[in-house]
Amino acid sequence: MDVLGDPATGGAGLAPQMRPKKPRKGLGRQGAGYWFVLPCLAFTAVFFLLPLAMTIGMSFYQWPLMGVPSFNGLRNYLDLMHDESFWGALWFTTKYTLFVTPAIFVVAFALALLVKRAVRFVGVFRTAFFLPVVIGLTTASLLWVWLFNDQVGIFSAILMQLGIVSEPVQWLGDTNSALASLIVMVVWKACGFTMVIMLVGMQAIPYDLYEAARIDGAGWWAQQRFITVPMMRRTFALALIMSVIGSYLAFEQFYVMTKGGPMNTTITVVHWIYRASFTYFKLGYGAAMSVVLLIVLLMLSVIQMILLRDDDE
Amino acid sequence: MIRCNRWLRLWACATVLAATHAQADDGLSFWVRASDSGFVTPVVNAWNASHPTKVSLTIIPNDDFVTKFGTASAGGAAPDVIAIDLIYTPEFAHDGQLTDITDEAKKLPFYQSLSPSHMRLGTYQGKQYALPFSAESSMLLYNKTLFKRAGLNPDQPPKTWAELEADAKKITALGGGVKGFYFSGACGSCNIFTLTPYVWASGGDVLSADGKTATLKNPALEGTLAMYRRMWEAGEMPASAKTDSGMNFINAFETGKIGMVGSGAFSIGVLKKSHPEIDFGLAYLPGQNSGWASFAGGDVIAIPAGSQHKKDAMEFIKWCLGEQVQVDQFAKNGSIPVRIDLASNAYSKLDGRYLTAATAMSQGKTPYSVKFNQLINDPNGPWAAMIQEAVFGKGVDVAVSTAQDRFTQILNTP
Repeated sequence: MDVLGDPATGGAGLAPQMRPKKPRKGLGRQGAGYWFVLPCLAFTAVFFLLPLAMTIGMSFYQWPLMGVPSFNGLRNYLDLMHDESFWGALWFTTKYTLFVTPAIFVVAFALALLVKRAVRFVGVFRTAFFLPVVIGLTTASLLWVWLFNDQVGIFSAILMQLGIVSEPVQWLGDTNSALASLIVMVVWKACGFTMVIMLVGMQAIPYDLYEAARIDGAGWWAQQRFITVPMMRRTFALALIMSVIGSYLAFEQFYVMTKGGPMNTTITVVHWIYRASFTYFKLGYGAAMSVVLLIVLLMLSVIQMILLRDDDE
Repeated sequence: MIRCNRWLRLWACATVLAATHAQADDGLSFWVRASDSGFVTPVVNAWNASHPTKVSLTIIPNDDFVTKFGTASAGGAAPDVIAIDLIYTPEFAHDGQLTDITDEAKKLPFYQSLSPSHMRLGTYQGKQYALPFSAESSMLLYNKTLFKRAGLNPDQPPKTWAELEADAKKITALGGGVKGFYFSGACGSCNIFTLTPYVWASGGDVLSADGKTATLKNPALEGTLAMYRRMWEAGEMPASAKTDSGMNFINAFETGKIGMVGSGAFSIGVLKKSHPEIDFGLAYLPGQNSGWASFAGGDVIAIPAGSQHKKDAMEFIKWCLGEQVQVDQFAKNGSIPVRIDLASNAYSKLDGRYLTAATAMSQGKTPYSVKFNQLINDPNGPWAAMIQEAVFGKGVDVAVSTAQDRFTQILNTP
């Protein structure tokens, strides 16, 4: 018996159980997938797409918090082009992002290397490093503003006890030291989360590669440089995008710890949006700033994805 | 059976929640600032103990009050009664968020005795939208012990700027971390309260009487800022003054190492209770060569436009202004009565410093503006920026000039 049948007839001579199946009516498995995704789509539509559309719409209005909104076209965007305070805040936020992102990455990478191996009590260390992540950012900011306080804070007290300084340090007293102090706080708070992302990436690297490298005589540093880092490209991309977006949206720590000072030199762009909307009660102008910030973040995300994509993509 | 029990428990919880919500709807919701929490809680408890309509009190952090009330009003969820910083009243009245209570106010038998500054700030376009609730006045708080140690007479606080600077210098010379003067350098609201009286006492002002014109370029304000700058550069203030956004407004003095600081009547109760070891005095904030002035502050009480219980709310307000409440609740708990006729009472006679504070309030001034928050209280606004630049930055002239322009721009924006 010829199992395959006559090729010229498209296999019509095949046994029934071997004939190609006709497609079912409806979407089948694919349709079931759409049903499973639908709740998430609905959630995204209600809590992201709809507010986004409303914000974009508001940006074309003069919209006082208490009062009647009036359409003013592109007026808000034209005013924004000449708002030096907004662009100054955007530049400060960019500067903050450029400093805090590598700091978080370096610390998180080091911590991930430390806790990668399943040695005794590694779970305790992983938990300890991750613990600051679960504290709210406002709570953490309130904690650290008192740690940095020159009268009662422990940092100045420790330095004075060690004889490193002779009087209390004004950690938040000038722009550079205030920025550095906030970066230290944010690294403490956020590196645990990035550590977890990197740990997952590291654990996905086949152990055989390290073994082969050792056999070939590669030391620890060479293994990290030529195996770990390249193999974690996608992990880095994810962590980088999340870190950059989070840094550009920085608000609570600056609002609580410095209130934008000294002399309005540590105001972030979200702080400026908050001020326009809830101090000046200009919701339309705040919406316009939000749209501009969204465009900036989209552009940065696209650039990062292009730069960090795999060579074969 | 287990599934049935679970649903019964859920239904019971929902019923309790609904009942609780219904009970809250029958009473009055009352929002106050955190700075009033010390005396307002016993006031509310006293009302609830003696009236069928209950008041539900919510305490809001000072810095968040305007935002929270503004967003609640815009969303139709404003409370029935609010006690708000009096300087914000014109703005909310201008935006139509407060109820006109002119007729009810004029019927009060003690209408003429109510604090003049509170009544002025509670008025908008000839109508009364708020009445006085709590009183504050700014004064010079000084440490008598440090005065004695510096060889100064503790019963003769400074009466001119020259005396103030000289006293600050002598106290700073004591060393050991002691400084002659303190102010919250990054706090706009603190400085309108304690710095502006130096300006008023010396013949200047920051805004016109109608609040529509900025008047920052005057010798009195420039002189005040220059005095602060001299004391800062001479090291007569602690370094932390530069970045203090108000967190150390009273804390710095409580360390016992500050000679003088601008403060309010609230400091009397705070220091007596928490730091009885500090021998402190209160004086008026002096003019350059003579005279004195004070910022008459505190809160007003008003009925939001969206309140569903306006009649009950007005009854609560009238009760708060009655003699018994003003004396046995407010004065007893360290707050100055808002009625001039009750300034001298059983509790103020126990401590002369309360009488000083009451006198300061009765003759105090308060700026009037529908854009007070944007101009003055905004920690990133032009008033705070001017003080920072003048005292710690490029200097007085640049700071005042920039602030004058920014004030004018804000006032001219609809």
